[in-house]
Amino acid sequence: MILYDAHHVAPAYAVRLLAGFLGLPLELQGMDVYPGHDDRSDEFLALNPLGTLPVLVDGDTVFTDWQEILAHLALAHGPDWYPATDPALVGWLGIARDLAASAGAARLMQTFCVPGDLAEAKAQAERLLDEVERRMWFAERAGHGWLLAGTHPTIADIAAFVSIAPCEDGGLSLRDRPALRRWCDRVRFHPGFVPMSGVFPPMANT
Amino acid sequence: MTMVPGNWYAVAAEHDVPAGHIYRTALGGNDQAIRELAIWRASDGAVQVWEDRCPHRGVRFSLGEVVGDELRCQYHAWRFAKGGACTFIPAQPDMKVPGSIHAKAWPVAVSAGLIWTGVDPVGEPPVLGEGAAIRAVPVARPLAEVETALAQADLPGLALTLQPLGDTETIVRGLVANGDCAAADRALAALRRQLECVA
Ligand code: FES
Repeated sequence: MILYDAHHVAPAYAVRLLAGFLGLPLELQGMDVYPGHDDRSDEFLALNPLGTLPVLVDGDTVFTDWQEILAHLALAHGPDWYPATDPALVGWLGIARDLAASAGAARLMQTFCVPGDLAEAKAQAERLLDEVERRMWFAERAGHGWLLAGTHPTIADIAAFVSIAPCEDGGLSLRDRPALRRWCDRVRFHPGFVPMSGVFPPMANT
Repeated sequence: MTMVPGNWYAVAAEHDVPAGHIYRTALGGNDQAIRELAIWRASDGAVQVWEDRCPHRGVRFSLGEVVGDELRCQYHAWRFAKGGACTFIPAQPDMKVPGSIHAKAWPVAVSAGLIWTGVDPVGEPPVLGEGAAIRAVPVARPLAEVETALAQADLPGLALTLQPLGDTETIVRGLVANGDCAAADRALAALRRQLECVA
């Protein structure tokens, strides 16, 4: 499997993170987004006309949507990560997409000088972070540790984590969002975790 | 007045600090500078409230990790024990760490399921009675305004206390007598909307 990847792109990190948790080997095709603009090359646009990262090539199939890639890998290699009978999965993946478009976008503007309306992105992200914090707090009280009820993390946790964990790079804060900080710890300590710049790995337990 | 030396302030609930986790908040305002706080538990369960700054190079302790009975800083892995003393510096493994290297530890009291601290707090924390610790609700208004609104609001069964964060933000904490945290949360969310809309 070939992953067209850029280290700092959160949706690409989501795929690497799931592959880490599942122990799947990925052949990484690193893309020079800036200053190289590899994602606007004719060759890449032939693969993915939208020009977005990541892209996964698995055999003859090309996947160009990051959440579809997560679903594909989970269905094929770790069905526990894809609880298809729980409608909440759809809701949470939607929230994760909204988080990417707000908290994720704010991070790209603030840390990578991508143009955009930072104030609007942050305002939308604040609303979403407050709501995810509220839900996670009540989930914890009910004995759950993950976004979906149950004992196993899902692709929804991964999809949300990649926008929430590095959100301070977008001028947002996890201080006084304690349930989100605890949930981030649970993801970080899950076996197979891989880091990204701005997201610390657990240190070796020595 | 926002933060007053001598007072106790609730800055976390006990359930906010499970073993192995470093909780992050802040306290301050008025003439008191904002103090960033890192809160964790030693393995005997004793709650530690520290300034969220490593004395080595000033990195936030809340980025670090609890390892066994110590907090380990994320950057250079200096380790600090309960009470705040630095116990180990990896770059100088054979050196006995000078006693002067110390995390700034704040006074701590645990009562009614809440964790309290303050600047030279006097006596015991206020008594809130019995009940379940509610979800803390941050409000982007100064403490005095939140205090006034709470005094006028009809919130039966709630015993509340306020944590000032600077001059523009206040966290509402407390207990709900009947244990209905969801109802308490809805009531405080409404109060928050009302306060934050008044520009
Ligand atoms: S900054 Fe904490 S060990 Fe260096």
